[in-house]
Amino acid sequence: MHIPDGYVDLPIALLCGALAVAVLAVAARRVDGEVPDARAPLLGVVAAGIFAAQMLNWPIPGGTSAHFVGGAFAAIMLGPHLGALAVATVVVIQALVFGDGGLVALGANVFNMAVIEVYVGYGVYRLLAPSGEFRAAFAAGWLGITAGALTAGVQLGLSSAFEYQLVTTLAIMGVGHLLLGLVEGAITAVVYRYLARARPDLCPTATQEVSA
Amino acid sequence: MDGWRRALAALLVLAALAPVFGWAAGQVGYAEPLENAAEATGATDDATASGTAPLPDYGVPGLGSATGTFVSAVVGTALTLLIAVGLGRLLGTDDPS
Repeated sequence: MHIPDGYVDLPIALLCGALAVAVLAVAARRVDGEVPDARAPLLGVVAAGIFAAQMLNWPIPGGTSAHFVGGAFAAIMLGPHLGALAVATVVVIQALVFGDGGLVALGANVFNMAVIEVYVGYGVYRLLAPSGEFRAAFAAGWLGITAGALTAGVQLGLSSAFEYQLVTTLAIMGVGHLLLGLVEGAITAVVYRYLARARPDLCPTATQEVSA
Repeated sequence: MDGWRRALAALLVLAALAPVFGWAAGQVGYAEPLENAAEATGATDDATASGTAPLPDYGVPGLGSATGTFVSAVVGTALTLLIAVGLGRLLGTDDPS
């Protein structure tokens, strides 16, 4: 899902970058002064865990592979605003230090993974949580990554390198991640349930969530 | 402090798994939908590498692939941890500034 440079036209990259910066600025203002001292390490561990988990490429027979992105997981663990900042930290480090995702495309990648996946994932989670947290976390991971993939599909499909084949890019990105997203949903739900049982004090329903 | 130690141990386990998963994904041929979409529309050749990343493609120049992946995982995880904790402290309630 990390778009390299050369794929997305410059105006689209700039627009998505501006949108991502605007959303993250609002997110930072919403949580500024509201992060208890005890929660800073959790932010660090969740972000670091997402970085490490993103390096694990799950081989899927048939020649595809995918890795956990973790946007919905961050949103559920940290709340949407801190979650967005956590995933943005990961995506920026991946681009600057490891060349994973382009520098011009960085704004688009942050927008897809740290904004769309996080806030859509969080919305799905909140919507479904009353009917069960496990299935809510699963759906959040699944639909969050699919939503991020669809915005990536729009960015690619409106770009010259992809010959403006919007239907093709949306179909491949959307259907591909709808299937691969089942892995994302499963990991999100299983890890969240494990943490909720092992450390209920860390999970948002037990803490004062910074209001969305 | 115990929770902190367990969290660091879990992160180290994830980093140690990175070369194993890297090898396994290489066996089936790593291809994401993004690459499939690029192939379908002929965009593949348009991708350019920035060339400025110190650890390109999660490898360390001069080191073997498994060792380089492991070092990259440790460096990247530690860097993310430090920056995100710093960010949390900046947004903290008792920031003296």
